[in-house]
Amino acid sequence: MALTLYHGEPTGPSLTVLAALFESGLQADLHPIDLAMAERHGGAVPRAFEVDYSVEGEGSVLVVGGQAMSDSVFIGCYLDDAAPGCGLRPTDPYARWEMMAWCRWMIERVAPGAAALANIAWTTPRLAALDDASFEQMVAPIASQDLAVRWRDTRAGSLSDEHRAASEARVREATQKIEDRLEGRDWLMGAFSLADLESYAWVAPMRDLLPDAFADKPRLAAWLERVEARPSVQRAFAQARSAEPAHAFAPGPEINRWG
Amino acid sequence: MTSSDVTLYHWEPNANSGKPMLTLIEKGVAFNSHYLDLLSFDQHKPEYLAINPMGTIPAMTHGGRLLNESTAMMEYVEEAFPGPSMMPDDPVDRWRVRWWMKYLDQWLCPSFSMIGWSIFIGPQVRARDPEELKAAIDRIPLPERRTAWRKAIYGLFSEEELAESTRRVMLGIAKLEEALGQREYLGSDQYSLADINCFNSAYGLPSMQPDDVNDAKTPNIMRWLRAVARRPAVRETWTYSRVPRFAERIIPLIEEAA
Repeated sequence: MALTLYHGEPTGPSLTVLAALFESGLQADLHPIDLAMAERHGGAVPRAFEVDYSVEGEGSVLVVGGQAMSDSVFIGCYLDDAAPGCGLRPTDPYARWEMMAWCRWMIERVAPGAAALANIAWTTPRLAALDDASFEQMVAPIASQDLAVRWRDTRAGSLSDEHRAASEARVREATQKIEDRLEGRDWLMGAFSLADLESYAWVAPMRDLLPDAFADKPRLAAWLERVEARPSVQRAFAQARSAEPAHAFAPGPEINRWG
Repeated sequence: MTSSDVTLYHWEPNANSGKPMLTLIEKGVAFNSHYLDLLSFDQHKPEYLAINPMGTIPAMTHGGRLLNESTAMMEYVEEAFPGPSMMPDDPVDRWRVRWWMKYLDQWLCPSFSMIGWSIFIGPQVRARDPEELKAAIDRIPLPERRTAWRKAIYGLFSEEELAESTRRVMLGIAKLEEALGQREYLGSDQYSLADINCFNSAYGLPSMQPDDVNDAKTPNIMRWLRAVARRPAVRETWTYSRVPRFAERIIPLIEEAA
């Protein structure tokens, strides 16, 4: 079945999906889009309820047989289901549970924090440079009201002290948890898996924003290099079109409303 | 390992506790039931923290291994045990099942809970001894859960937050109706983990929001609710209920569907 992938720069969820695709060995037509210019919400990218209301916020869209799919971890599971044995997920049910529980923590707790910090640092200046009319025209097709609010907040550069502190705390928690997890192992689940890609994609860009969260963590540093050395990740990096692809974020998942 | 090695730590057989329980029963897996009273904060007591250090409900042990995170637990039960398949075969359908579970877990159901806590549960819990409540909150191991419980117990939701939750519930109802108009079940034409997940939070809609969820306005939701309510496994989960006020919301639906 023909696969078409609309992807952003190789960072965040787009990095996970590009590298997972290359790990799977499946062939797809690749179409780069600028997620920070809301290109997912118009033009050539097929619309679907599941894309419009993706909890992940802005990310890649994989189209298979008329279904437009979003959310990097579940696209990764799809690729593993479609290419069994490609190694994106462990085969043992308990190891799989561990991986899915880890990814759940990464997308529900870490990603909203990392996305908030990345967007305020790197996306806000791009959006603030647009005049009001251009910005409004760009976000008009966004179906999800709460995602549209995150776009407006990003343009305005609003991030409360409380949310900034919570976001930084989650990144620090993530780097420590990864450092602890890697004791006696090369990859987060023992063998390489989707969890390494998803975790790298959200955590690695934080090196430029919270360098102290990475200090004195030798296992984390070696793991970052190990992930970067994978041919799938190198090939994903080669899709970059901008000078700083790791900074090319767009409004992401919301910070949990329950705190 | 045999299925008698399974112990499920749960509260009422709905919402998160109901997800792995209904999956186990659908698969025909025997398990030991360990009931914890969420509103007495059994889940933060030392004897339970010794089993599940996260202090969350539900949890499950299979042999010597601990599992938590209810949606990941459902996928584990599906894959670790024989019995009828609770996931479709087609990879795109499987993706859709997982997509819906995340949409429910992270976007729609937190809004259901916020409203439920502000109207029903919070006021009851606040009737307890304030010192006892404060001590119960201080025992919660995960900081983010401590924040969430504090909000729930003291009713710290702003009007804006509650209005946003109401908006999400109304939009969620409309999107469920659309999705169930396209397919017989939520993620595919086959009953799956997405239906188990959703039913455990949505079964109360016709009784709690009769003006919004009924045969005239949401015929597909009503058809689907009855189809799931007819399943013997659903009836069996409710034999584990100890709080009549929860069972009262579902028994009429089960009786009517039968």
